[in-house]
Amino acid sequence: MKLPLLVLAGCLAAVPALAKDNFVLEDEVALCTGCHGEDGVPVATDYPIIAGQQYFYIFTQLRDFGAGRRENETMTPIAAEYDRDQAKEIAQYFADKPWPDVPGSSQEGDRQLAEKAMTAAECSACHGKWQGDSRIPRLAGQQVDYLATTMLDFKSKTRKNAPDMSNLMADVSDDEIHALARYLSTVVIH
Amino acid sequence: MKTKALAAAAAIVLCSHAGSLWAQDEVSHGTLYGDLQNVTQSMLNRASGDGNNFLHANGNYQQTRYYPASQINTGNVKNLRPAWIFQTEIVDSMETSPIVVNGIMYVTTAFNHVYALDARTGQEIWHYTHAMGPVTTYCCGPNNRGVAVSGDRVFMGTLDAKLVALDAKTGKQLWETEIADPELGYSETMAPTVVDDMVLIGTNGGEYGIRGFVKAFDAASGELKWTFNTVPEDSVGVWATHDATGRDMLRDIEAEKAALASMGDPYETLGGGVWQNPAVDLESRRIYFVVGNPSPDLDGSLRPGDNLYTDSLVSVNLDTGEYICHFQYIAHDVWDLDAVSPPIITTVKDAEGNDVKGILHGGKTGHVYVHKADDCSLIRFSEAMVPQENMWVLPTAEGARMLPGANGGVEWSPMATDPNLHMAYAINLHQPMTYHVESTPYPEGKIWLGGAFKVIPEEEQWGNVTAVDYNTGAIAWQVRTAEPMIGGILATAGGLVFTGEGNGLFKAYDSSNGGELWRFQAGAGVNAPPSSYTVEGRQYIVVAAGGNAQLNYKRGNNIIAFALSD
Repeated sequence: MKLPLLVLAGCLAAVPALAKDNFVLEDEVALCTGCHGEDGVPVATDYPIIAGQQYFYIFTQLRDFGAGRRENETMTPIAAEYDRDQAKEIAQYFADKPWPDVPGSSQEGDRQLAEKAMTAAECSACHGKWQGDSRIPRLAGQQVDYLATTMLDFKSKTRKNAPDMSNLMADVSDDEIHALARYLSTVVIH
Repeated sequence: MKTKALAAAAAIVLCSHAGSLWAQDEVSHGTLYGDLQNVTQSMLNRASGDGNNFLHANGNYQQTRYYPASQINTGNVKNLRPAWIFQTEIVDSMETSPIVVNGIMYVTTAFNHVYALDARTGQEIWHYTHAMGPVTTYCCGPNNRGVAVSGDRVFMGTLDAKLVALDAKTGKQLWETEIADPELGYSETMAPTVVDDMVLIGTNGGEYGIRGFVKAFDAASGELKWTFNTVPEDSVGVWATHDATGRDMLRDIEAEKAALASMGDPYETLGGGVWQNPAVDLESRRIYFVVGNPSPDLDGSLRPGDNLYTDSLVSVNLDTGEYICHFQYIAHDVWDLDAVSPPIITTVKDAEGNDVKGILHGGKTGHVYVHKADDCSLIRFSEAMVPQENMWVLPTAEGARMLPGANGGVEWSPMATDPNLHMAYAINLHQPMTYHVESTPYPEGKIWLGGAFKVIPEEEQWGNVTAVDYNTGAIAWQVRTAEPMIGGILATAGGLVFTGEGNGLFKAYDSSNGGELWRFQAGAGVNAPPSSYTVEGRQYIVVAAGGNAQLNYKRGNNIIAFALSD
C-alpha cells in the first residue's frame, strides 16, 4: 500500500494541527470577533465580513489558512491549530449569524465598468447573483477594501488558494477591479 | 410562478388540444407492456420497441436514443406545434431527459427539483424539492440530467452526493443514501440507471481530486451492493505513448517514472468520474461506461503513469461490478479531452465485415469510436467531426493553442443512432482554446484544475450536427450551427433527428441527409436531450429549454411538448 496523500501533504507549507487543546467555541469566537466584529461588522474595511458567510466556504478558508494554501500572518497561526471538526464548529457559528448591514458606496460609472469586467471574466458563471453557495463566497455587500484587495491579490498571485481566480483576474484592469469592488459592496440581497 | 405556468400551459393546450382534462386519474393506463403504477423489468428491457413510453435517460438499455414511433415523420414534421409548455420554478440550466411512463412525465431541474406532469397537458401532478445539504459541488452549473424509474419508484442523484428514491405516485421521499462524501468533491448530475432492482450511478468530481467509481444500490432499501473503483490502486498502465488514433502524446516517460518512484501511485486523488449513464447488455450481464478525466486536469506532473482507467471505455459485470475489459483513448490526459458521452450498444461491422456486437462512443477528441463489445478493443474511429490542430501539444504556463478545445468535440451530450442507416448522430463544439498548466498541490476537495483552459476570444466558435456511418467511420452528412452544441439528440423511426441549440432553436433534420425540415424558437437555450412518447394515439416530442451555465446560453424554465397540429 502506497501513501500518496502523505507525500502530497508533505509538499504543503504547513499542515493543520491534529486538534486545538482545550477548544471552547465561545473563546474562539471571541478571538475571531476581535477583528471581524462582535456585531458582524469588522473593525476595519479591509477585514472581511464572515457573519452570514457560506458555511463550507468559511470552513475551507480556515483549512487553507491552516495548511498554508492561503497565507496571512494573522490567520495562519490561528487556523493551523484547528482540526476539521473545530473548524466546522467555528464556520457553522458564523454562517448561522445574519449578514450585517454595512453600507457600500459606489461612484458614477462603476456599474458600467464592473459589468464590462464581469462579462469578460465570466464572474456570474460561478458567483451567480453574488449570494454564494457552499464553495463560493457571498460577495454582495462585502467590505469594499477587502473585495479590492482580494481581487488584486488573486491578480498578483499573492493569494494562491483559488488558481482559477488568478487566471481570470489576470485580464482585468486595476480600475475595473476597484469599480467591481465598489459595485459589489453596494449589492443588497433581500 | 405556478399560476403563470398553468396559465401558459392552459392557453396552449386549449388552442391545440381542446377538451384535455387535468386530473391525474384521467390519464390513460394503456401501454404495451405494463400499467401505470408499476414499471416492470420487462418494460425496461423492451424499451427499444416501446413507442408509448420513454423509460430510460437514453431511451433504452442500449442507449441508442432511437425512438420506434413514426407518427411524426419526414412528411409531416412541418406541422409540428407546441402542445403544451410547463414552466418550472427554477430558471437555470436544464439538462433533463424527460422520462414518460404511461402518460406521466418526470423531469428535473437545476438544484434537484423533480416534477411529475400529465404528459398530455403539462399539468403538474407533484413537485419534489430536494433538501440540499450544506455542501454541494458543481463545476459547470447546478445541473441534473433526470430520473430513473422502476417499479413504483423514481430515483435521482443530487448535487450533495445523495441518491434519493421517491414514490412515483406522490413524490414523497422513500429513502435517501449518501453516495460519497461531498466535502471531497463528490456530487451527482447524471440520471441513475435501474436494472434488476439495482440503481447504478457514477459520480462527478474529476475537477476536485476524487477517486471515481460506479456503485450499485438496492432499489428497495438504498443499501450499497457493489462498488467499482474507476481508478485501480495500480493506475500506472503500460506507459502508452500514442493515443487511440496513433498520435504521439509527447509524454516524458522517464520523468514520469522518476516521479512515480518518488511520490507513489496517485490513485487516491486521480479523478476518473463517471457522469453519464452506462449501457446495459442483459445478454452478457455486462455494463459499459466511459470514465472521465484524471485530476488535476492539466497538470500531469503530480500523476505519473497512464492514469488508468481515466479517459477509457470500461466494462464490468452487472451483478458484481467485477472488471472485464477496458480501452483507454488517451493515457495521461493533460487536456481534459476525456470520455463522457454515454456509450451505445449496437451491431456493427468488424474489420472483416462481419456483424458483431459493438460499442459506440462519441469522444471529446471529435471522433466516434467503434469497439468490439466482447473485449472492448477498437475496431475503427471516425473521421474527425471538428477541426483538430496541434494535437497533442503540451500545456504551458503561457498557454498552448490546440484544437479541439477542452469541451470537445462531443461533450456530455448523448449521441443517437439509426440502426437501419447504421448512422450515429452527434452534436459537436468548435471552441478554440489555449491550455495552461500551473502546478498546485491537492487542495482537499476544492477545485483542482492544475491550470486553465482559455477560450481564444478573437477566434470564431461554432457547432455541428454530424451523422457518422459507424460501419465505415465516414461522415455521412454534417450541418453547421451558429454556436457550439451541447445537450443531446434523438433519432426516430419517422426518419428524423431532433436537437436544440444555445440560441433557442429546436430543429428536426432528415436523418438520411441532414436536410432541415422544421424549427422552433424556444426563447431559451435548448441544451437538453429530447425524448418522445405516445399517449392516446398521439406522438409527442418533448425537450427542456433552460439554457446552459457552462456555455452561458440564455437560461429558461420551459418543458415544451410538441405534437402534430390537428
